[in-house]
Amino acid sequence: MLELRINGFGGQGSVTLAHLLAQAALENGEQGQALPFFGVERRGAPVRAAVRMSSTTIHAHSQCELPDYVVVMSEKLTEAALSEGINEIGTVIINAPHAVPVKKHPTWQVDADTIAREAGLFSADGPFINIPLFGAVCRVLNIPQNVMEQTILNKWPGNGERNLDAAGKAYNTVKQINI
Amino acid sequence: MKAAEVVMGTGARAAALAVKSARVDVVPGYPITPQTSIIEAVAAMVENGELHARFIPVEGEHSAMAAAVAASAAGARVFTATSANGLLYMHEVLHMASGGRLPVVMCNVNRGIFAPWTLWADHQDSMAQRDTGWIQYHCSSNQEVFNTILQAFRVAEQINIPVMVNFDGFAISHCLMPLTLPPQEDIDRFLPPHEPEWRLDPAHPSSFSNVTNAEEYAPFRQMLSDDIMAAIPLVKQAAQEYKDITGMWDGDTIDTYRLEDAEVVAFAVNSMAAELKLSIDILRQQGIKAGLLRPRLYLPFPAEDIINALPQNAQVMVLDRNYNFGHPGGILASELKSALFGRRNDITVKNRVMGIGGIDLPRRFMADEIRAMMDE
Repeated sequence: MLELRINGFGGQGSVTLAHLLAQAALENGEQGQALPFFGVERRGAPVRAAVRMSSTTIHAHSQCELPDYVVVMSEKLTEAALSEGINEIGTVIINAPHAVPVKKHPTWQVDADTIAREAGLFSADGPFINIPLFGAVCRVLNIPQNVMEQTILNKWPGNGERNLDAAGKAYNTVKQINI
Repeated sequence: MKAAEVVMGTGARAAALAVKSARVDVVPGYPITPQTSIIEAVAAMVENGELHARFIPVEGEHSAMAAAVAASAAGARVFTATSANGLLYMHEVLHMASGGRLPVVMCNVNRGIFAPWTLWADHQDSMAQRDTGWIQYHCSSNQEVFNTILQAFRVAEQINIPVMVNFDGFAISHCLMPLTLPPQEDIDRFLPPHEPEWRLDPAHPSSFSNVTNAEEYAPFRQMLSDDIMAAIPLVKQAAQEYKDITGMWDGDTIDTYRLEDAEVVAFAVNSMAAELKLSIDILRQQGIKAGLLRPRLYLPFPAEDIINALPQNAQVMVLDRNYNFGHPGGILASELKSALFGRRNDITVKNRVMGIGGIDLPRRFMADEIRAMMDE
């Protein structure tokens, strides 16, 4: 069973990202689970969500304590996210415009803010970074690009073009940081 | 023959889809977190014509259950849903549903009780309704929520007793997972239309729930007590026939995991019991012969099935997500001890309360707790 935790700020779309990842697992022929933690739902407050993927029935219903992957939606949260726990060989995926060094853990970086803005995915509140992050996480988890695209099309039938564009760009530009 | 469809859905969505599949006639509803997404989804289904039912928005849970009672007495198949203090507010009318022998089915999405306020799961709300004369299931997965609502309608309508289907707020209600939806024709075969023996009908006036003298009242109460116990074989039959038709099985009155040769048995309900399967695997890897016994049916308490299932000389670790105020520990431990007393003197029962107000219960934590309890 693969376990992943998303750490973000309220309003960044962590719940939708978790749902997309669980749906991608099903699309990929596996079982998927998205278990967001709903706290005091304030914009800007730290939020988290658990995602699990498995070839067999998922019985876990707790938040991910020691996940194999941690997705950090804002580089400001990196330290706080890691302090919540990660598998000792766990991987970190960070949304940042530049490489953020993380000790001891394989780390990937994607500039989700810029990708979302360039694809026209933003509102007055900011860019919709969950879409490019979905693409980036799929790439890191080795989920095929066509599965990633089909998941987006299932979620937004007939209205997925900018989402596909942003997710695809992130899928192909997320890069592993050399330690 | 049509194949089952697999969709992604939360536990709340699973409940709403089961209500639609059950072809419910009337749904009174009042929102309360974390149940609200069930009632919202059902209201939307009624609005867009997916479900041909009457949705009755009311001003509180006491009225929601009162409307459910009235609609059920008029012969409708009725569903409603609530949580925590909403359930407590219904308490008086819960007795009217059971005493009136009305087969209402209700989801209670478990949430800790005020005060102080909490939004997250524990089991004080449903277990505080123990003596209302309702049958109670406790479910540990999204799929089980869907399956159990259909089984609940069948049992309720066979024996004219209301049924509460409980599952954890957020951990199940807001957890997105794959959900298998059997073809509607299979569900229709399992759950035929509700045909009550009696109903309120203006064309044939009759009165319902008059004042009774003690000689009339006492037999009614005795009958309710007897019939609740008589629900056990019906619960088993419903689970078996549901399996025969859909291939899906969540257990009947109980669900077990690696129990046959277990020396240490975890005993718990709801989502923590699903997570406990992983704790059992951890303990087995550590060389401890651990197993799980989950009462899927909390009321009537499946004492005989538990007595028959527990291995010889087992230590039973009851993990309660509730308090039995006035006693040390929780309600499930008290129920279990009562069932075992004088019947299984070889069994040791130990108890801890945990997960109150939604405190997370990861597999490693519960495995550690069980190991620590072994040394007590």
